[in-house]
Amino acid sequence: MNDLAIPDFGREIAALLPFLIVAGGGLLVMVTDALVKTLRKDHLSYLVLLVLLSVIVVQTTSGTPEGPVLNGLLLLGNFSRFFTYLFVVIGVLTTIFATGIFDRDGNYRPEFYPLLLFAILGMMVLAAANDLLTVYLGLETMSLATYVLAGGVRGNAPSSEAGFKYLMLGGFSSAFFLMGVAFVYGACGGTGFDQIAAALHSGSAPMPFLTLGTGLMLVGFGFKVAMVPFHMWTPDVYDGAPAYVTGFMATAIKAAGFAILLRFVLLTEPMLAFAWYPVLTVLAVLTMSLGNIVALVQGNIKRMLAWSSIAHAGYLLLGIVAILAPALGGPEMMARAKGIVEEGGAALLFYLVGYALMNLAAFGIINVMGTEPGVDGDQISRYAGLSRRQPVAAATLAVAMLSLAGIPPMVGFMAKFYIFSVVVKAGLIPLAIIGVINSLISVYYYLRVIVVMYMHDTAEDSYQGTEWVSVAAAGLLAFLIIYLGVMPEAFHRGAEIVFRQISF
Amino acid sequence: MAMITDHILTWVTFVPLLGAVALWLFGRREGPARIFALAVSLVDFVLSLHLWFHFDAARGDDQFVERVAWIGNGQVSYHLGCDGISLVLALLTTFLGPLIILSTWKAITSRVREFLAFFLLLQTAMLGTFLARDMLLFYVFWEAMLIPMYFIIGIWGGQRRIYAAVKFFIFTMVGSVFMLVGILYLFFQSGSMELTSFLNLNLEHNAQLWLFAAFFLAFAIKVPVFPLHTWLPDAHVEAPTAGSVVLAGVLLKMGTYGMLRFAMPLFPQGVAYFAPAVSILAVIGIIYGALVALVQPDIKKLVAYSSVSHLGFVVLGLFSLNSLGVAGGVFQMLAHGLSTGALFLLVGVIYERRHTREISEFGGLAHVMPLYATFFMIATLASIGLPGLAGFVGEFTILLGTFTSEFLPAARVMAILAATGVVLGAFFMLWMVQRVFFGRLANDANKNLPDLSWREVVVLVPLLVFMFVLGVHPGLVLDKVDLSIQKVLAPLEAQLVPHSPAGHAAIPGGGEEGAPAILLVNSDAEDLR
Repeated sequence: MNDLAIPDFGREIAALLPFLIVAGGGLLVMVTDALVKTLRKDHLSYLVLLVLLSVIVVQTTSGTPEGPVLNGLLLLGNFSRFFTYLFVVIGVLTTIFATGIFDRDGNYRPEFYPLLLFAILGMMVLAAANDLLTVYLGLETMSLATYVLAGGVRGNAPSSEAGFKYLMLGGFSSAFFLMGVAFVYGACGGTGFDQIAAALHSGSAPMPFLTLGTGLMLVGFGFKVAMVPFHMWTPDVYDGAPAYVTGFMATAIKAAGFAILLRFVLLTEPMLAFAWYPVLTVLAVLTMSLGNIVALVQGNIKRMLAWSSIAHAGYLLLGIVAILAPALGGPEMMARAKGIVEEGGAALLFYLVGYALMNLAAFGIINVMGTEPGVDGDQISRYAGLSRRQPVAAATLAVAMLSLAGIPPMVGFMAKFYIFSVVVKAGLIPLAIIGVINSLISVYYYLRVIVVMYMHDTAEDSYQGTEWVSVAAAGLLAFLIIYLGVMPEAFHRGAEIVFRQISF
Repeated sequence: MAMITDHILTWVTFVPLLGAVALWLFGRREGPARIFALAVSLVDFVLSLHLWFHFDAARGDDQFVERVAWIGNGQVSYHLGCDGISLVLALLTTFLGPLIILSTWKAITSRVREFLAFFLLLQTAMLGTFLARDMLLFYVFWEAMLIPMYFIIGIWGGQRRIYAAVKFFIFTMVGSVFMLVGILYLFFQSGSMELTSFLNLNLEHNAQLWLFAAFFLAFAIKVPVFPLHTWLPDAHVEAPTAGSVVLAGVLLKMGTYGMLRFAMPLFPQGVAYFAPAVSILAVIGIIYGALVALVQPDIKKLVAYSSVSHLGFVVLGLFSLNSLGVAGGVFQMLAHGLSTGALFLLVGVIYERRHTREISEFGGLAHVMPLYATFFMIATLASIGLPGLAGFVGEFTILLGTFTSEFLPAARVMAILAATGVVLGAFFMLWMVQRVFFGRLANDANKNLPDLSWREVVVLVPLLVFMFVLGVHPGLVLDKVDLSIQKVLAPLEAQLVPHSPAGHAAIPGGGEEGAPAILLVNSDAEDLR
C-alpha cells in the first residue's frame, strides 16, 4: 500500500464523490449566503437538504468502488457507507429541527448550515479512515465545526461557555491523540492501518511504545464518546448548546466516535486486549454507573440526557469489552471468538442507530419546547401537563424515554438485548448483571419525564407554543423506534453484513 | 373464517391492540369510543371462546400453535401456543375485559379515549404473556404490560397515584431484569429462545440454583410473595377501580403462571433446593396478609391484603409439587380472579357513590342497598371459600395437596398453618361485611344511596354466576387443565427421580441416594402421626 501506485483517477473521483458533494455543498452554502442578498434565509436550509439528499442518491445509485482509495488513506465500502447514511439522516433531521426554530423565532443563524455540513464531512472521513492521519483529519474537521456550532449563539453566555469549554478540552484530547499517534508511528513504522496490522502480527513492534500509544489514543476517543473519566465536558456542553446542536452531538458525534473506536479496537485487538482490557472493563462499568446515578438528580432535561448519553456510552463500551474478551480467553473461547466479534460489532452498530433514533426524537421535542427567549426552557417541570396540550409531542417524548430506558417493544430494548446477549456469550455474566442493574436505575429518571408530562397538571410557566414540522419529524422517529423494536431482524442482519467488511 | 381460525391465537392477542389503534379515529367523541372499546373486547372474548370449544383436553399439549421466525435464523421466533393452563387464564383475561370496560362508564370521565386505549393495550400484553412459548417473546409481553398499567395507575389513580405507579413499575423491573440475564444465559447455552429447547438443557446444579433464584424473584414480586408485596397495597389503593380489578384479576396471576410455566419445569434442582423456603414464605404470606387485612380501616386496602393471603395459597399449592396441589393452585388463580375482581368492582361501586372507602363511614348499608349487599355477600363468601362457591374448591384442593405432599418438609404443619389462614380470612372478611352492611344505618350520608344500577348489575352478574358454576362443577376447568399440568410437571418429576435431589440436605430425613425425591416421606410428618 505504501508504494505510490499511480491511481486510477476516475475511480478515485467516483469513490470520493459523496465526500466532495458534502465539502462542495458546504462551500456553496457559505458563498450563497454571503453573495446572494435577495435570498430568503430559509432557502439556505433547502440547499442543505438538497446537498444531503444528493449524497444519499449518489451513494445509492452509483456503484461506489469498494476498498482502499487515495493510497490507502480511506477505506470505502459497506462500513463507511452505513455511517454516511446515518450521518446524513441525522443531518437532515438536525436541519429540519434547527430551521423550524430559526423560522419561528425569526432569528437566523446562517453560519449554522455550512458548519453542519463540514461536521458531517469530518464524520464521514472518520468512519472511512484507514490511516491514523486521516483519523486525525476527520476528528479535527468534525470537532472544529462542532465547537462553533455549540458556542455559536451570540450573546448567550451558557452557549459561549459550552463552546469554549468544548474547545479547550477538545484541544487537550487532540493533543493526547496526536501523542498516541506519534508513539504508534514510532513503534510500527507507519500510520496506515495495514502497516500497523502487519507490524502487530509480525510481533516486531516494541510493546511499551504500543501500549503507551494506544492508551493515549484511547484517551482521545474516550473524550469524543464521553467515556468516564473524560466526560466532564458533556453536561455543560449539552446544556449550553442549543437543543438542535445537542441532538446532533449526542447522536452523530457519538456514532462517529464509536465507528472509529470500533475500527481501532479490531485493528489492535490482541494487543489492546492484553494491555488495556482491565482498564476498559472498569471504565465501561464506571461510565454506565456514574452516568445513570448522576442523571437521577438532574432537574434540567438536557443535562439529564447528557448524563444519560454518558451512561449509554457505557453500554456501548460493554460491547467493545465483549469483543475484546475472547482474545484473552482460553482455547475454548478462541473457537467462539469470531462469532462473538461479529455479533458484538453488529450489536454496536444496531445500538448506535437505535440510540440515534431515540435521542433525535427526544431532542426534537426538547428543541421545540425550550427555545423561548429569556426562560430556562429545559427544566423538566415546564413539561407539566404536556400530554393535554400537545398529545403528539408528549407521546413522542414518552416513546423516546421508554426506549432509552430499554422497555420493550421499543428499539432501545432490542439494542440492549443484542449487546447484553453478546456480553453473556463472552462469558462476562457479572458485567451483564451490572448492565441490567444500571438500566434499572435509569428507568427512574426516564419515567420522571413521563410522570411530569402525563400525570402533573399544567403549571403556569409551562410552554404553550409549538412548531409542527419538528414535532411531525420527531413523531416519525417515534414510529421508527417502535417499528425497529418489533421488527429488528432485517436491520440487524444488515448491520452484520456491514460489520463483516471491517472485521479482519 | 379460516383466516381467523388458522391464526386464532394471534387474533385473540392482537385484536385489542388493533382496537386501541383504531380508537384514535374517534377524536373527542367519548360515547362512541366507549361503545367501540366495549365491542372490541367482546369480539375478543368471542374469539377466545373458539379456543375453549376447540381445545382438545385429551392431549393437554400446546394447541393452535403459531410459529414464525422472528430474530436470528429462527433462534428467536414468534411462537404462540395454548395449553390448558394458558387457556383458562387467557379466557379469564378476555372475560374480565368487557366487564371492566363497562364498569368504567361512570368512573372514568377524563381522557376517556386514552384510558380505553391503554386498557386494550394491556389486554394484548397480558394475553401475549399467557400464550407466548418463546422466552424473548414472553419477556417482551411481560415488560410491555408495565407501560399501560403504569399510565392507568398514574393518570387515573387516587391521591398518591404517581408514587404508586412508579413503585409498581420499578419493583416489577427489579425482578425482571435479573430474569433477563437468566434468559440470556439460557439462550447462550441452548442457542435458541424456544421454551422447549430450554427444557432440554442439562444444566448443572449451581447454575440451576442461580437461574431459579433469578426467575423466581421476577415472578415472586409479581405475585407478590411475602416479603416482596409492599408495592401491592399502594398500587391497589391508588389505582382506579378498573386498574385494581385487572391487577387482582389477571396481573397477579402472571407471577404464579410464570412460576408454573418457567421457573419450576426449567430448574428442577432449584425447585428441590428452594421449595421448602418458598412454601414457608407462602405460609407466612397467607397468615401475614390475613392479619394485616384484619386491621385495615379502608375496604379496598383490606381486599388488597386479602390478595396477598390468597395468592400465598396459590404459591403453596404450586410448590407442594404434586398434581393435586398444583391443580388447586391453578383453580385458585381463576377463583381469586373472579371473587377478588368482583370485590374490587363492588368497592368501586360504593366509592363512586360516597367517595370514601373507610369502613367506619358505613354501617347498615343493607337497609338502603339490598341488592348491593347481596352481591357483596356472595363475592365475600366465594372469596373466603364457602363450599358451593369457587373459592372453596381451590383452597380445599391446595390444602389437601399440601397436606399429602411427600416433598415438603413438615408438610402437614404447613397445611395446618395455612388452614388457620382460611379461618382468619373468613374472620376479617365477614367482620368487614358486618361493619359495612349490618347494624344501624347511623351515617346520614348513607341514607339515600341508590342501589345498583342496571349497568352495574350487568357487570357483576356474570362474575357471580361463574362463582357458582365453578363452585358446583369444578370439573369444567379441572378437566381442561389436568393433563396440561401433568405435562408441565413432567420434566420436574423426570429429573427429580433419577437424580437424588441436591436439596437433600435441606430436607430432614431425606431418603437414600437415588430415592425418588417426590416420594420421600419426611420425618417431621412421621412424627406428627
